[in-house]
Amino acid sequence: MKKKLLTMLLATTMVFGLVACGGNKANDDKNSGKSGKSDKYELALVTDMGSIDDKSFNQGAWEGVVQYAEENDIAHQYYKPVEQSDEAYKDAIALAVKGGAKTVVCPGYLFEVPVFEMQTQYPDVKFIIIDGAPHEDKEGAQPDIKENTLSIFYAEQQAGYLAGYAAVKDGYKNLGFMGGVAVPAVKRYGYGFVKGAEDAANELGLKDGEVTVRYTYVNGFAATPEINTQASSWYKDGAELIFAAAGGAGNSVMKAAETAKAQVIGVDVDQAAESKTVISSAMKNLKKSVYDALGTIYDNKFEGGQSITLDASKEGVELPMASSKWSNFKQADYDAIYAKLAANEIEIPTDATTDDATGLTKACKLTKVKLTVE
Amino acid sequence: MDVFYFVVQQTMFFAIPLLLVAIGGMYAERSGVINIALEGIMVMGAFTGILFISEMGDSMSGQGLLILAILIAGITGMVFSLLHAFASINMKADQTISGTALNLFAPAFVIFAARMLNGVQQIPFEDTFRIPSVPVLGDIPVIGDMFFKNTYLTTYVGILLYVIAAFVIAKTRFGLRLRACGEHPGAADSVGVKVGRIRYAGVIISGFLGGVGGLVFVVPTSTNFNATVAGYGFLALAVMIFGQWRSGKILGAAFFFGVMKTMASAYTSVPFLKGLGLPNDVYKMIPYIATLIVLIFTSKSSQAPKAEGIPYDKGAR
Repeated sequence: MKKKLLTMLLATTMVFGLVACGGNKANDDKNSGKSGKSDKYELALVTDMGSIDDKSFNQGAWEGVVQYAEENDIAHQYYKPVEQSDEAYKDAIALAVKGGAKTVVCPGYLFEVPVFEMQTQYPDVKFIIIDGAPHEDKEGAQPDIKENTLSIFYAEQQAGYLAGYAAVKDGYKNLGFMGGVAVPAVKRYGYGFVKGAEDAANELGLKDGEVTVRYTYVNGFAATPEINTQASSWYKDGAELIFAAAGGAGNSVMKAAETAKAQVIGVDVDQAAESKTVISSAMKNLKKSVYDALGTIYDNKFEGGQSITLDASKEGVELPMASSKWSNFKQADYDAIYAKLAANEIEIPTDATTDDATGLTKACKLTKVKLTVE
Repeated sequence: MDVFYFVVQQTMFFAIPLLLVAIGGMYAERSGVINIALEGIMVMGAFTGILFISEMGDSMSGQGLLILAILIAGITGMVFSLLHAFASINMKADQTISGTALNLFAPAFVIFAARMLNGVQQIPFEDTFRIPSVPVLGDIPVIGDMFFKNTYLTTYVGILLYVIAAFVIAKTRFGLRLRACGEHPGAADSVGVKVGRIRYAGVIISGFLGGVGGLVFVVPTSTNFNATVAGYGFLALAVMIFGQWRSGKILGAAFFFGVMKTMASAYTSVPFLKGLGLPNDVYKMIPYIATLIVLIFTSKSSQAPKAEGIPYDKGAR
């Protein structure tokens, strides 16, 4: 009797399983937008680790794809690699091409090696890789960008600069920077932040060492009590504002800020909705850059074979002033400093200048800012 | 003194979830079922609890909402742990594998469900639960500053649950039977104790405490729930072993970890630690080095339940 029941149960589960699979497929078709012309998806995005709604890289890039595709009625689809490995990424790209992709968007530096191989294998397909440049799979390999590939970088140091500049201009003097992991993009955010604070302090004519910046990497991108406690202790020691360039770990910083009634600057995308304590966000304009790059492809003006860095002059970075809560830092101030950045009048150190944040004191000739690296 | 209060307050955020989940693990293991699914149970409990807070946040707020969420998290944990109980008690499956399966299943399910419901995998919630200072009690000198300021109701619920759990396992008839099933189920069976039922009870209790632990972990430390409890379920298992499967020692172990973790994260605020001037990474190692040292001295007398991990077979006496 018992066995029969179990068999029945198993059979039912399997039937439901099959139905569910069928249902999913229909759902996928719906998700991929109206195609009309054929069942081929011309525009494809292969996600990096994390989901399509990660509020960061994947999501920003995907929104750009969707916007362009919907405006121009092009079939589009995203593909998710089964795991984080070069092989799986290559398989996903191959699947996208098989699905009819003529353009594949690859957000994230983990795509450097997969795209390097696929750009040769599929010379007729165009690749857009964000935050990376394709190179061979060996130590110290030089970037090798073929004609059908465009590599996009961002000037994170300028986004960080805007954040640091605005914070000091707004009247904050005790600042903190918490990066996720010491990778190039995070370093650039941090370095820019320090330099921006120094420049603003100079403009305001503050005393030497009047602005303090504590600087650290929390070694992770996930929210944990450790990061919450660390941020709480910084706020307790007098920090008024922390720039959290650490993905999900930023939420633990926000929690600490809520307790301490202090402020946070968000990162990558506009994080104002995450917490009331987010005073502004150092953004890179992922959506617009993917949208623009797709536009060049369809207008036959594709600038493949090179690596471009999107900075203020190309509106690649910004602070979302509409949702920011600055009290003294006005739109006019923002426009003025943004124009200077766009004209390349300000030199900001990057990860190429110094590998270690302690080198900033010398590289930026810090006087107003007292930098403590922890 | 200010620093001292700060450390005590922050310690609670580490220690309470560890304590609850470790006690949960203790109930399962003392009944004879290894439960390494605690991580997955925490994730599930945190998920439904936070989802409830997020959905009801418009119409309710404050401590009433939090208590309901705690209950929901606990019940979710119970239901989820039933899977483990069924596999390891009825089906006599390998308990490590069954637990691992739940650990793998939980985050995947949570991401899937959250995206189905809200479109994104993070579930944000509004924190209306923080208690800046408990009325009356917060004004007591010293003790008020230590335990009744900048706190959450979850801290007290956690301690209350701990006291009940410690009492039940040590002083009640049910507790005695549960312990017997973990040490020598054959003997327990011979005097008429239903081993299967007791073990079910043990696992379900661990599910309840694990689920609550998950919610208690997330509420004070983040502004959203992102399908993870950062390995604290496994850390709780370590606390349980460190505490030798005994509620008193587990309490000590949980707070030991809590204090060490707080010190490691907030060392810049603690003058004597900052004075050492060690690199950042060394401070982060402190909890683990301290654990190793303590284990060297204590591990000789391990008191694991004798029958844990072995499915009960009536025929094999």
